[in-house]
Amino acid sequence: MTDATRAVGTKETAGAQPLWSNLLPHSTHARVLFLIRGLAILGLIVAALTTPGFFTAVSLFSLLNTTSFIGCVAVGMTFITLSGNIMSFSLGVTLSTSGIVFIAALPLGLVPAIAIALCFGAAITGLQGVVVGYFRANPIIVSMAALALITGCATLITQGRGVYPEGGAAAILKARVLGIPMPVAALVTTAIVAQLVLSYTRFGRHLYMVGSNWRAALAAGLEPARTVLGAYVAAGICTAVAGILMAARYSSGDMELGIGYDYSAISAVLVGGTAISGGEGSALRSLVGAFIIAVCQVLLLLHGFSTQIQYLAIGIIVLLVIMLQTLADSN
Amino acid sequence: MTMSDQRAPAREVADSGAAPIVGVRNISKTFGPIAALKNVSLEVSAGEIRGICGENGAGKSTLVKILTGVYRPDSGDVVVDGKAVSVATPRQAQEHGIAIVSQELSLCPDLSVEDNIWLGSMRVPFLHKQQSLRQRAADALTLLGAGHIALDAPVGSLSMGERQLVEIARLLCRDARVLILDEPTATLTDVEIERIFAALLALKREGRSVLYITHRLAEVYTICDRVTVLRNGELIATEPLATLSQTALIELMLGRPASEMYPDEHQILGTPALVVENLSLPNIVERFSMTVHRGEILCIAGQVGSGAAEIVSALAGLVHNASGRVTINQRPLQLGSSARAAKSGIMFVSGDRASEGIFRRLNVLQNLIATRLRDYSLYGLLRIGALRAAAERLAKQVGVDRRRLRSRVEDLSGGNQQKLAFGRNLEKAKHGVLLMNEPTRGIDIGARAEIYRLMRSFCDQGYALVLASSDLEEIVGIGDVVVTLYRGRRVGAYRRNEISMHRIVADITHPTGAAP
Repeated sequence: MTDATRAVGTKETAGAQPLWSNLLPHSTHARVLFLIRGLAILGLIVAALTTPGFFTAVSLFSLLNTTSFIGCVAVGMTFITLSGNIMSFSLGVTLSTSGIVFIAALPLGLVPAIAIALCFGAAITGLQGVVVGYFRANPIIVSMAALALITGCATLITQGRGVYPEGGAAAILKARVLGIPMPVAALVTTAIVAQLVLSYTRFGRHLYMVGSNWRAALAAGLEPARTVLGAYVAAGICTAVAGILMAARYSSGDMELGIGYDYSAISAVLVGGTAISGGEGSALRSLVGAFIIAVCQVLLLLHGFSTQIQYLAIGIIVLLVIMLQTLADSN
Repeated sequence: MTMSDQRAPAREVADSGAAPIVGVRNISKTFGPIAALKNVSLEVSAGEIRGICGENGAGKSTLVKILTGVYRPDSGDVVVDGKAVSVATPRQAQEHGIAIVSQELSLCPDLSVEDNIWLGSMRVPFLHKQQSLRQRAADALTLLGAGHIALDAPVGSLSMGERQLVEIARLLCRDARVLILDEPTATLTDVEIERIFAALLALKREGRSVLYITHRLAEVYTICDRVTVLRNGELIATEPLATLSQTALIELMLGRPASEMYPDEHQILGTPALVVENLSLPNIVERFSMTVHRGEILCIAGQVGSGAAEIVSALAGLVHNASGRVTINQRPLQLGSSARAAKSGIMFVSGDRASEGIFRRLNVLQNLIATRLRDYSLYGLLRIGALRAAAERLAKQVGVDRRRLRSRVEDLSGGNQQKLAFGRNLEKAKHGVLLMNEPTRGIDIGARAEIYRLMRSFCDQGYALVLASSDLEEIVGIGDVVVTLYRGRRVGAYRRNEISMHRIVADITHPTGAAP
């Protein structure tokens, strides 16, 4: 859904009512939810303003870097969630392994290494898409099986050790583009491309339909299995982007790097407001969600809370968001 | 084809002197403004099999629910052995020997036949002799002609018909004197139906009584002694079947005189758009054939469970094990894929809007163009302007306010939702085939009229329309050709001037010259 197209439908009514009435949700119920969301964001801004050291270059750059990895995975996860398949537990290991593949392929040159890593991510996630789409297998279970399979294979091959690059070919990925760190630039590009795909391609629209109602899509003569496969391939590519950036940043490929990213990503997707049951949401929303989560993490860090507390906080946020979504749906 | 009365087979009519064992006296029951039963009295004698017939909403199920203690009548009594008794709960009904064989059987699939027979029975003491219970269960099954069913087999391993026999045996072991069967044969094969009938006759010889509720008039004539006809909550008549012709029975049910014979002539208009030969769906439809021409509406008339809806779903590619030859616009179509069907020009509108019609979370615009994206995209990229123009045009054609294009579809009425489902097919192809499954189910009269108007506009575009329906008024009102279906088999076909409600009712309940 795009805001540009939304404006047209309300053109006729806009003259009769005050302009702001189109910006606010119409039912009381929806307005309460709107208010809760607004207050939450306001609270976050106040917390940021009152936290000493938040608005410093160091913490802001660290914030943006954190956001960029979670953000890429979250944008990828958005495709899976939108397609009606909830989430994948295997995107974290996909991130790690595509980073390893990238480092291992670097001797072939930077561009071939990036291409190989992206194809690798697309392939291993796409295979899950085949199982979920064509065999109608439970997506959660498939992703857990994939997590075990990928971890097992990768650990066997790397013998549990990290992979380190020879030479400095990946240095360019640590450089800045027009003063913006490469990971941030990559995230923004990924999110915009993903959103354009969702809004302006046939595949994107089909994805919303399949996520909204699989059987109706089938009855209408669409090919829902193919669309789901596409969603998984897109998720794999976005995750591989994060994997490449992370491997470049740490100058290594390691199975440890991606741990927990699938969980952070689904948190970002949900906080952004994409419906867990599919068919509603957007990549840009997930981007905002990733940013909010990262802000929370940085704030907690600056206040001296441990990583465990950060996990706890994210857990609570996700729980609240899910409850809000259910409330909104029960309307 | 004739509707004859010589089909009534010879049978022993219940002894008119037999004492009535269960009945109702002057029962009335209303639900809000609707009178479900008005002053109904009936008595069932020992050893009688009584058919209960009537259209949907005639009051059959209300009567059953009063007899089994689910509902309490507003006035009137349930009578057992000549005495008015209180049947306020299903348990009290059981104590009086009234038992129902429910449509959805209440058996536990993982337990054995024997355990199921005795499960929850108040006749099993805490300390009991296993052997005598086992013997009684075996005797009950043998009585029903089902001695072959192993007592230790899990019920889940039995066929639907065998499960029904186990259910009846269970009721026998609880000393049920009157068994109520409500559409018992809907899910059974012919052979299984024969077994159930044999079991019912065994019960009859035992002096037990049966209330047999069905839409299938053929079964009434096969198994029942007398039939009671309900219409709009009133008891119209109770007649012995030996002297009641089928035409007369239909007249009693409908409340209108049945018309005479119709000429069985065929006139072909337009070119054939869809030819179906020997379409079979395992256990549902057998060798069904039909031809639909451009510009006409063909109705497949059949009761729920007759296979009409499944035929339409199969043609839409939604049934994976369908077989048969289908030709659309002279080109063969392989069944089993909805995408393939759509490519060859088939469109499908379901009556089950929530589960296979609309995209609930999307808006009106997106629902209207759901199947049109290919026509408005270039290398996968959408032409947004053209799409929006198309949506506005379609909204106008189906009569949905264009200001609602941005509304979420779940906020629309069922009628408007269904208009979107039609709208998305409107401009699709020149010679398409539009398939519909109960398209006006749950839709109010006003929107219905608009949907019928839409159907005609599809005809004018040169589409061929196929409509599966169990709504008689709709079939008679909109069909150019009506094909009747009974238990998965084609009974007859009628062109516009030969279509009559009576004929259709006769075909879909008691086919002459087709399945028994």
